[in-house]
Parts: sequence; C-alpha cells; structure tokens
Amino acid sequence: MKLTLDQYAHIDSPIHHWNQQLKLIALGALIFAFAFVETLALLPIMVGITTIFFCLSRLPLSFLLSRLKYPGIFIAVVVLILPFISGKTVIWEWGGISIQQEGLLAVILIVTRFICILTMSLILFGTAPFISSIKAMRSLGLPSVLVDMTLLAYRYLELFGETLTTMQQSMKLRGFKVNRFSKRNLTLLASLIGTLLVRSYEQSQRVYQAMILRGYGYQLSNQQTGLRSALQQATPLMQFWFWFSCAIALSLIIAEILT
Amino acid sequence: MHIPDGIVPPAIAIGGYAITGGMIWYSLRKINQFYNPSEEIPRASLLTAAFFVASLIHIPLPPASIHLVLNGLVGVVLGYFAFPAILIGLFFQAVMFQHGGLSTLGVNAAMMGIPAVLSYHLFQFHQWFPTPQRRPLIIFAFLAGAMALALSALIFTALVITTIPAEMNPQLERQGIYLGLVGYSIQAVIEGVFTMLLVSFLQRVKPELLDIKK
Repeated sequence: MKLTLDQYAHIDSPIHHWNQQLKLIALGALIFAFAFVETLALLPIMVGITTIFFCLSRLPLSFLLSRLKYPGIFIAVVVLILPFISGKTVIWEWGGISIQQEGLLAVILIVTRFICILTMSLILFGTAPFISSIKAMRSLGLPSVLVDMTLLAYRYLELFGETLTTMQQSMKLRGFKVNRFSKRNLTLLASLIGTLLVRSYEQSQRVYQAMILRGYGYQLSNQQTGLRSALQQATPLMQFWFWFSCAIALSLIIAEILT
Repeated sequence: MHIPDGIVPPAIAIGGYAITGGMIWYSLRKINQFYNPSEEIPRASLLTAAFFVASLIHIPLPPASIHLVLNGLVGVVLGYFAFPAILIGLFFQAVMFQHGGLSTLGVNAAMMGIPAVLSYHLFQFHQWFPTPQRRPLIIFAFLAGAMALALSALIFTALVITTIPAEMNPQLERQGIYLGLVGYSIQAVIEGVFTMLLVSFLQRVKPELLDIKK
C-alpha cells in the first residue's frame, strides 16, 4: 500500500509557499462555503474559484483525475439514476423512459459541488507534506490526543499495509484460494485480520517503551502557535490571499442566503 | 458506506460536525477519566492503523466481494478510543483515497462512530455472565458487530434517501429503502460473524486486547 499523498508536496507554486495554517482555514472556509451552495447560479463562480486555485497550485491534472476515479463511482450512480426517478417536470421521453428536470438539476448541483470540494481538498492536502498539515491542525487547537493518534497511525499505515501484503502472499503460497466463499476461508480471513491486530498491539508496546525513553508525556516549552502567530509570520501576499479566500467564502454563503 | 462531498445539504454537514465535536468531547472526557492517555495512545493509534488496513481486505461474497467496515470490532477493542479512531480512519480515507469527503467527515464519523461506541457498551454485557463462559462472549461479539453495521447502514440509507435535493417518487423511495436495508442486513450478518470469529481468535491468542475496561 503506497500512500501517494505527498507525491507533489514539494513542487514550487504560490499555494505550496502558503503557510499551512492559513491555508487550512482559508481553503477549509471555501470548502464549507461550497457545501453550503444550493443555488445553480452560484455554480459557475464556484467552478471559477476552484480552477484559479488549481492552476495556482501547479498540481498536474492527471493527479486530480486519478483521485476522481474511485469516488466517481458513487457519483456515476447518482448521475445515472436521479434524472430518471426524481422530479415531476418531464423534459425528454423515449420508449417509456423519461428524464425529469428537477432530477437533472439536482445532478448538476451534486456533481459540481462534489468535484469542486474534492479539488479543493486535494489542493489543501496535496500541496504540503501530510505531517505539516497535522502540525498546523495542532497549532490551531486540535486536541493533543487526536494529533498524537493521527501522527502515530499515519506513521504505521504503510508498515501494516506491507505486513498485510506479506501475510496474504504467504497464505496464497500455502494454497489459500482468495475467491472461494466457505466457512474455512472466512475463519482464515478472520485469523489474518486477528494476526494483524495482535502484531500491531505488540508493536505498540515496543513503541510506547521507546517513546517514554525519549520523554513522551512531558510538555515542551511554550511555542508560539495559533492563527495570530501564523499571520504574523506570513508575507503580505500570503496574508492577502488568506483574507481574500475567507471573503470569497463569506460572500458565497451570504449570496446563498440572499437568493 | 461513505457519504461523499456534495450529496447532503449544508445543514446536515454542519450538524454532523456538531455531533462529532460533541462525541469527541465525550470520548476525551472518558479517556481522561478511565485511562492513562500517554500509555494508551500508542496502542489505540497502532490499532487504528491496523483496522484501517484490515478494512481494505476483500471478503469474497460470490459473485462479488465486499470490504468490512469493522466499526463494531473497533468499539469492542478500543472502547472510548473508538470514536477518535474512526474519525482519524475516515479522515485518512477522505484525504488519501477521496473516499467520503472533508465536508461530510462529521456526518460519516457520527454515522460510523456512535454505533461503535454503542457496540462497546453492548459487548460489555458479556461480563454479566460468570467467567470463564465462552458462549456469552461470542454471542455479544456477534450482536455488537451486527448492530454497529446495521445502525450505520440505517443512518446512511435514511440520510441519502431523504436528503436528495429533489422530489422523489414516494413509492420508489420506499423501494429504495427496502432494497438498501435487505443488502445491508446481509452485510450486518457478515460483520457480526467476523466480529465473532475475531473476538474468539483474540480471546485465544491475546486476551488482553479485549480486556479494555479499567
């Protein structure tokens, strides 16, 4: 299992240079503003903003398209079903199959919102190392239990992924038929998951001992964190982009409420 | 069984974050009350990673295959750490595989996490029976696993069907709900069986993994 999230985290672009704390708030606000939009007239503005940010991030289009593949299945189902079953105004009919206007408009709204939010999420987490994003969340007040759990879980994801692949290969080499549905196979698959859990538990005991030897559990000296210090450290251009993005997010929400 | 970005109306997305915030507050309060956090965090974190990886395993169900959700087992093994673990797992899925979404992270976490915490409490009922009886442990493991999935599926189906932003034919809506519930009932039984098999395995191999109550 390869985690390719940091694949383009080190390329040179204005978005990559943006302080991750400011980026989290600004793009997070835009993501929520996008989720708030239900008026079709606001969709072109949303698409425009997303396109500008995506171009500024200099992320390859292939990266975005590869990320759209998997969740696209659910969206494809919505596209294929909703116009036929939802709504009252028939706009096209052929051989007993009719397309309803309300369903079609709902599809346009859902798909546009989905693509814009997904692209923004990708820009947010694809333009900085994942560890920087978690550190930024910590400095913005995420509880330390959540931060520590996220960092440790992230650290061991790939390792356990490789452990699982090795165990599955060993099972196949010993004649395990992956696609057969039987009671014995289910028991073996449960043992596979159980072994993975036991191994991770045993590793966690060693990790804990190593961590307390390195002083885990003691507070570090007070570092300047939070939004104010992030704003002080940012360049005027980055500050401008931060306030600009927040203003757009707020404007979208106000426009949505007013319409 | 994840709600992607853009499907649900904003009120649901915000409501999901509010419920998740409340559940995180409750979980952290209980964690500080019952555990030594710095001692338990490595255990909970590495098990979170292991559960995440385990949920990627294909389980054959001819003619297709399914992935296990395992939220019942997460509750059974991690106790009050289950909700933070599920939130983190869903966050990883959203940012790494675009499965689920950032705007719907709160809804998804509440949908999967609350049943996990409930299944932890349900599983604890096995302690009412005198030890070392194996049968109550297995029965409550099945119930915990099946209940968690069934409850999550119920919330998922209700949310998707009722929040689609256009008027839907009521008859079709009802049929959709029935179809979803039949499919998820089968998956709930499979999840229950797996939770039962896994609890039985852990009891034999590493019983301290199930001994989470302090």
